[in-house]
Amino acid sequence: MSEYDVIVVGAGFGGPVAAKKCAEAGLRTVMLERGERVGQKVISGLTIPFYGFIFGPAFIRDGNPPIERPADGIINYIVKDIETGDIEIDDTLKIPKPLSPVLAFGYNAYCQPFCEWEADRAVESGVELRTSTVAVDVLREDGAVAGVVTDGGERLGAKVVIDAEGCQGLLAIKAGVRKKYPPDVISLADCYDYEMSKADVDRIFGHTLRFCWGWDEQKVAPPLGYGNGLMVWPYRQSLHFIQDQCLKTGSGKVPSLKDFDDYHRNITSGLPWWSEEVAPHIRLRTRIWDGFEIFVGLDDELRGMPNHADGMILIGDAAGLESTELCDGVPAAWFSAEIAADVAIDAIRAGDTTASFLKRYDERIKAHPIIQWSISTTNRHDLRYAQENHDIDMLRKLVHDGWGLGGFASITTPLLRMIFDSISEDPSILSSWIRMFPRYYYNWAHERYGDAPGGRERPRGVQTLGHRAFAAFMRSMDRFLQRFSSPVAKAAAFMTPATSAANPVMRFLLPRVEPFYLAALKLLEPVTDPLSRKLVSFVTRADPAIFDSPPGRGE
Amino acid sequence: MGSQADRFPGIEWVEGAGDFIKIDTELCDACARCLKVCLADCFEISEKKARVRSLAGCLECASCWFVCERGAIDFNWPPGGKGYKSLWG
Ligand SMILES: Cc1cc2nc3c(=O)[nH]c(=O)nc-3n(C[C@H](O)[C@H](O)[C@H](O)COP(=O)(O)OP(=O)(O)OC[C@H]3O[C@@H](n4cnc5c(N)ncnc54)[C@H](O)[C@@H]3O)c2cc1C
Repeated sequence: MSEYDVIVVGAGFGGPVAAKKCAEAGLRTVMLERGERVGQKVISGLTIPFYGFIFGPAFIRDGNPPIERPADGIINYIVKDIETGDIEIDDTLKIPKPLSPVLAFGYNAYCQPFCEWEADRAVESGVELRTSTVAVDVLREDGAVAGVVTDGGERLGAKVVIDAEGCQGLLAIKAGVRKKYPPDVISLADCYDYEMSKADVDRIFGHTLRFCWGWDEQKVAPPLGYGNGLMVWPYRQSLHFIQDQCLKTGSGKVPSLKDFDDYHRNITSGLPWWSEEVAPHIRLRTRIWDGFEIFVGLDDELRGMPNHADGMILIGDAAGLESTELCDGVPAAWFSAEIAADVAIDAIRAGDTTASFLKRYDERIKAHPIIQWSISTTNRHDLRYAQENHDIDMLRKLVHDGWGLGGFASITTPLLRMIFDSISEDPSILSSWIRMFPRYYYNWAHERYGDAPGGRERPRGVQTLGHRAFAAFMRSMDRFLQRFSSPVAKAAAFMTPATSAANPVMRFLLPRVEPFYLAALKLLEPVTDPLSRKLVSFVTRADPAIFDSPPGRGE
Repeated sequence: MGSQADRFPGIEWVEGAGDFIKIDTELCDACARCLKVCLADCFEISEKKARVRSLAGCLECASCWFVCERGAIDFNWPPGGKGYKSLWG
């Protein structure tokens, strides 16, 4: 008999989500992590886009994960001449005020505390966590995966192994499930982390990420667009500065990554907003780097590699699910972790953990609107052609469609599909969404993380008439969604087919409406700015209990 | 904490990582790709073969292994709890 029902390999972003779900279903679950402490071997950006939170695991959405800063959008700098400061700006991807920054486009986070917070929740649900433990090989029984061997020589049996080991995939390769990825789809990210006072981050960056793109000779983006340009993420009181470069570029060339040093020097001394506004206020804290699977999803053969075998399922980066567009892999790690856990639970209950049963996992991954969108968009990949030809129009378009408002021409259909699918599955998710954004903002403002509602003493804010009205509104919404759950679910399911029209409609509308929309935003600033400040004050002064999920949801 | 801490601020190393990257000199053709992609300068070429110079600054990114298309690099994780650790990833 197996010692465990499920072994999860890796406690990064995806592993704890899968492990927690399995343990909650009553399965004996162990999670192995090679680091001494969870998250210490995970290197990332990191902005986790809102769709990861709203469509991802309920315990994260309804909980209090540690975030560094809500992000409200991206400013793209198209550097035409770094010497003369000839730089174009595309800052169209921005949550409009007064909704921002309370309503965020995503949340910036350090990996270590975030992954550890997730793992703590998994342990609370009954998962056994073993750190400082490497899964070096799989155990086999009649050819099927039946557990793992650890670096200490221990043989741990399990009915299903969920492999959440990240993009290198050493275990998956050893188990013969998939092959090593070729170097042209792997990018090495060179990350600098700078300390900066919160007041300076607030003043200079606010909640907005800054990206830079340019021609090779500008040395702000890797040669010929094989990778990303400069990306700067504002955190609570620090900045993350990243560039990345594919390990192989056109005509089989492996670039010298020592060039990163030149790029870094060139940007920090030549880019006016960095050298003048930012540089005087920062102090280098660390420089780290890691590889990530930038373009796996765009290659038919790689995308077609198996993500499961008899007794084994690959999730997140191990399964090649990192986004080919926005650089985000956390949402897909979360989605695939939940799907893998569901399928593992069903398989174990059915007493059938063969690949033919686990194939359901692959089918659900292929049917997932956001995962499929995120591994099939080509704007980032095609930058190389704009670079090659010095084609400024193409560069502008790719930047706009990848990291500007133009992205809505490809994401609107999958987003709406997910919205309606989620509501038709559980209408009460609507109130969970509404509470999440102000709660996350409150938590960020007051550094309130990890406390379970009803657990330790909560901070007490004020309860004005407005706060009481909000709480009453949310209570009646909860009651309404409970009472009319079935018709709301049916209405959402009815709407779902219409979502396929959304992308074509956006493609038609965006170019026509965008200039007016942007002009209106600018024009309305005198009204929306103070309103935004009012909303922030409303949220940060509240008794946070009004944003907590009702009992039965959350941590 | 290893001596690399001065060269790479903010990173700590737990001793005992051992030789977790090895080069099969039979397969190596000294193409030097591993040298080009390694930001920690772990490799050198000597006697027409790539050799591991020191893994002291290695952040376990596996770039050397990804670019070695001859399969000469045997890349494994260091033993559990050993190698680099970072709070700022
Ligand atoms: C520089 C950079 C920037 C990024 N920016 C973003 C971003 O802005 N937004 C976003 O959403 N995503 C971003 N990503 C991608 C994101 O970090 C990954 O997609 C995500 O971490 C994948 O989660 P995972 O659970 O699949 O793997 P990981 O989070 O990588 O976790 C794998 C875990 O498994 C452990 N492990 C590995 N092998 C073994 C083994 N054999 N035995 C035991 N333990 C093992 C590792 O120590 C690690 O803890 C970025 C990545 C990088 C490198």
